[in-house]
Amino acid sequence: MTRSENYTKYLLACLTGLIVAALYAPIVLTIFYSFYKSRKGKVDWGSFSYEPYTKLIFERQILESLMNSIYVGVVTVICSVIIGFYFANYYHTSKSKMKEFLQFIIFLPFLLPPIITGLSLLIFFREINLPRSLNTVVIGHTIFVLAIVFKIILNKLETLKPSLMESAYDLGASKWQAFYYVLLPNIKLSLIIAGLLAFTISLDETLITLFLIGNDTTWPIKLWAKMRVGFSKQVNASVTLILILTSLLVLLIASIISRSERKIMY
Amino acid sequence: MNSISNYFNTSIWTIVSFVLVIFLILIPLASFLSYSFFTVDGTDIIHEFSLFNFKEFFVDEIYIRTFVRTIFLAIIVMTCCIILGYPVAFFLARYAGRYKYAILLMLIIPLFMSYIIKIYMMRSILGYSGLINKVLAMAGLIDKPLEFFLWNQNSVIITLVIILLPLIIIPTFTSLDKIPQNIVEASFDLGCKPFQAFKYIILPISFPGLVVGSIFVFILALGDFVTPQLVGGTSGFTYGKIIYSNFGMAFNWPFGAALASVLLFVSVIIILLTNYLTKRLNK
Repeated sequence: MTRSENYTKYLLACLTGLIVAALYAPIVLTIFYSFYKSRKGKVDWGSFSYEPYTKLIFERQILESLMNSIYVGVVTVICSVIIGFYFANYYHTSKSKMKEFLQFIIFLPFLLPPIITGLSLLIFFREINLPRSLNTVVIGHTIFVLAIVFKIILNKLETLKPSLMESAYDLGASKWQAFYYVLLPNIKLSLIIAGLLAFTISLDETLITLFLIGNDTTWPIKLWAKMRVGFSKQVNASVTLILILTSLLVLLIASIISRSERKIMY
Repeated sequence: MNSISNYFNTSIWTIVSFVLVIFLILIPLASFLSYSFFTVDGTDIIHEFSLFNFKEFFVDEIYIRTFVRTIFLAIIVMTCCIILGYPVAFFLARYAGRYKYAILLMLIIPLFMSYIIKIYMMRSILGYSGLINKVLAMAGLIDKPLEFFLWNQNSVIITLVIILLPLIIIPTFTSLDKIPQNIVEASFDLGCKPFQAFKYIILPISFPGLVVGSIFVFILALGDFVTPQLVGGTSGFTYGKIIYSNFGMAFNWPFGAALASVLLFVSVIIILLTNYLTKRLNK
């Protein structure tokens, strides 16, 4: 390594460090303010307490919005994984020329600005007289994450050898048996990764949800509403807990991916 | 017999797939586009064809001006993300060694962390008595707090860059990571200077990833309406915010739909152009 390359290396390392710091600054501040008080921009160092976390149990509105978010997330995962698997399997097995077009449409809600997906569903639901509720939010989230779920499952299907299913049929398996005993165990990990990713995205989706939400609120919408009056420490505490949950989910996804990759290598 | 039943099966799969896609994605998009030709009377929406909304868009120059300004804003955000994100992806792929995936993961996690909270907290970082002003004051660089950072375009740009930066790092890293080290070394052996090696080998190979990331950043910055609402103040409003206000307080859905259809048009052109470009580059 030459000297100038060494300099570039350290310069780039510093930049990377700075950017990691910048990305985490808002998050660290939130966690900080869930423990400490501040008045007029000055931190009161003696005010450390974890009381907001215990008080959180009495905040019915926040807890309710959290439960709503988890409900939406779980139903979104179920719908998007089933539909995503269906499309991936169709795309993988079909010889129809229309399938490229189909893929393009599936990717549209993911590629277009979320505001467009949100308002087009809003107008559609109004035209068919479907009142806004948590279930309309589920539909919005499902459409939004469908492209990612589809792509993850499709990538896995494409690594499987066609002989796998053929030999299952040759050995006398029915369609359902071949799916349940042969295909499903082979793509199980990709379904789990896709589902976890869908849940993580749904938990924090704001832009589409703002258009589709009815009288119930999900957790990001509750934050959005609370922001005008300023955050209480309990809100900061709930944010901290959700941050821990999402980081754990992402770490879980990463560890599953790296483990399944190691399996392929051996 | 078998082939007939197979054919029957696949055609059912095709039909079901298309029905699903049409009902979930295409009809909503079509109903939104058709709304842009309707007009509003009080709280009723008149379902009759008219070009009134588009006339309004072109006549009242505030809309076009905001749209152009928002495009510039998105370009600035995209450029900042490229300038900051590319070196980071380059560092990860080339110098970070066995830590590269760990650092990449650290950069991905904030992407999934509460969007609203990140924007909200940027207020207490950029604000009048915020973190940046305090640090600058402590360092003795400024006498009184700067107002440069909050309630204007700058704050919108900074916040969007912080939120969207991982989106450019991930695809760029993926394409940079594919470059084998020996290609670069071979170019050195053939007498390339480091900058030439970068210009003729590394940059062209990593370009498709960079383009994908840039387009994501550009489109998301273009359509965002929460960030300007929360940190933009009065001078930092964007096109997305105008669209959203037509669906909220102003309650003029057809006009909002017309404004959004312009956004849709521009986004689709950009997506198709990118698709075409990356396909040509991959050849």
